[in-house]
Amino acid sequence: MTKNSLKTGPDELGYYGEGKSAMGGMAVGETLMPALHELNQGFEKAIKDKEFLDQFAYYCKHYIGRPSPLYFAENLTKELGGARILFKQEHLNHTGSHKITNSLFQVLLAKRMGKKSLICESGAGQHYSATAAVAAKFGMPLIGVMGEVDIARVNQNIIKAKHYGAKLKAVPGTLKEAITDAIKTWTTNPDFAYICGSVVSAHPFPKIVAFAQSIIGREIRVQSLEQEGKLPDMIVGCVGGGSNFAGAIYDFLDETNISKIGVEASETAALTNGTPGIMQGMKTYMLQTDDGAKSLGGMSLGAGITYFSVGPLHSYLKDQKAVTYSSATDQEMLEAYKIIARTEGICSALEPMAAAAEVIFRQAKDKPKDYTICLSLCGRGEKDLDTIQEHIGKDFE
Amino acid sequence: MSERFKKIFENNNPKTKLVSYFVGCYPTPEQSFELIKQAIDNGVSILEIGYCTSEASAEGPVIKAAHDYVLKNGYTLKDTIKLVEKIRDYNREVGILLMGYIANLYKYPINKFIDDIKKAGADAVLVVDAPHELKEENELRDSLNDNGLSLIKLAAPTTDQKRLEYIVKISSGFIYQVNVSGVTGVKSANETDVANFVKRIKSLTSIPVCSGFGIKSPEDAKKVANSGCNGVIVGSTFVKYIQDNINAPDLTQSFGKQVQSFSEVLK
Repeated sequence: MTKNSLKTGPDELGYYGEGKSAMGGMAVGETLMPALHELNQGFEKAIKDKEFLDQFAYYCKHYIGRPSPLYFAENLTKELGGARILFKQEHLNHTGSHKITNSLFQVLLAKRMGKKSLICESGAGQHYSATAAVAAKFGMPLIGVMGEVDIARVNQNIIKAKHYGAKLKAVPGTLKEAITDAIKTWTTNPDFAYICGSVVSAHPFPKIVAFAQSIIGREIRVQSLEQEGKLPDMIVGCVGGGSNFAGAIYDFLDETNISKIGVEASETAALTNGTPGIMQGMKTYMLQTDDGAKSLGGMSLGAGITYFSVGPLHSYLKDQKAVTYSSATDQEMLEAYKIIARTEGICSALEPMAAAAEVIFRQAKDKPKDYTICLSLCGRGEKDLDTIQEHIGKDFE
Repeated sequence: MSERFKKIFENNNPKTKLVSYFVGCYPTPEQSFELIKQAIDNGVSILEIGYCTSEASAEGPVIKAAHDYVLKNGYTLKDTIKLVEKIRDYNREVGILLMGYIANLYKYPINKFIDDIKKAGADAVLVVDAPHELKEENELRDSLNDNGLSLIKLAAPTTDQKRLEYIVKISSGFIYQVNVSGVTGVKSANETDVANFVKRIKSLTSIPVCSGFGIKSPEDAKKVANSGCNGVIVGSTFVKYIQDNINAPDLTQSFGKQVQSFSEVLK
């Protein structure tokens, strides 16, 4: 890592970049500041402890099932007739998404730091069910906070988390409201560990989550070299808070010859349509009223990417022009879902179908056959089956 | 530091100051002004005028509902600053601080915000989610100090000794002592904890200490005042009173009596 590297991470106060345009920081109440500093110190110590890292690696392999395969999507590649498409199969991880890697890392960290109880927030319920699984495994009680709209649409994750022994706190709304309430719940219980589900919120969470998820990109490197004899030419992933995509690209940030495209839901495309603001602990691009008083943004079919804001690392990478950010509509996501189900026999979650739509409709076709695109398939579709059936049944058949 | 705050705390009457929080423009700018006039007339020494944001991360259900009500009716920080101007025209002695979150100030932006509140007659600002680690806090603090205004800092039960020493060093006006870990208006303050915390802060500084969170009745206020703090802060209890009686025709007068029941025990 050199000084000019995009991988040097945030400074000690959590800023990506310098001066007034720096993103991130620590915008929370005084009650939580000591806990955030304690967490940062705990994290920095833990990642220098070989025994801790070995333990994380052990459970990544034996509990989660990592590495997730890098799979050549032969039929989809043929159908599109352009670039060679590879799926990073994060949906094959235990509990069905990339989220569990971060849950595992943070729960192990909480244990190492002597914490007794856990709090988490969730949008699609993937982070909630993943954290609940790990909490059960390591014998720690968990309170998950979710929006009522999401609880209704991702019922399977709620049921699973209940079986794992987690408690659910319902708040009106979606992921945005869940994040604000999780901070309140933590403020009320500052001795708990807050297991943040994405590269969002106050420092050091964006740094910790990016660290845990960066295993995705390191696996892509090894697998691509081994299977393809070269690195991918392009990496594409969906972005809500942005943890799976941050994890997929982190290892490649200084390799400018690899294109990187993050895809948000068009209803909540903070990086395309937003401006810098400070809410929910961080300075970052977000959709809000001009006076900064109200968060904005509509509803996407992808619960996990229905988020008016985005992790500060992504805002920084956008400003540095190191990564391209785009967006996809609900209809594009559903079309992409149908194509991937039909060609590859994979029932994907709707969130990564935003990234798939970018690949299928805008990137793959006009590329040469030796151009490889790695698409992060970060979650499986069981949680979305009701939504998918309702919309595909009504609108497309 | 604001000259007005200095005067307020130098005066021995009342012995302990009543500091009260209002959601600015709640339920309307006109009613808000009438309620605040009652508060001034019934013994409030310092007004905390809240401006609203949708993602307020430290507010319990009572204040959150009031914030949402104001936002829904479209009143903004600008309207709240206008309210401050009217309050200052009504009374020259009462201390006024604007209280809220960094989201609105960042967009205002900060330098214009300070110009506007200075003109309106405010004395200080308290930003809940702007610890000294935040760049915008540094900008705000420097600029307030340059303009003879105060940035009120929070000290929480979780604040360790090293942080507390730094916080008292950068504080001006008074220190807002947070009595409980939690959101506004839920947990109750514990007398012994409050007294120990006041002592801890007082051993480090001569800046006045105002104690808030978990003060729900005049009896609570009296107990907290006995801890030796310079002011007692009442927030959710007053907001809830307004909320519960929002359609009562005599709300303004009855609210005045409610405030008086607190100020009486602090004389």
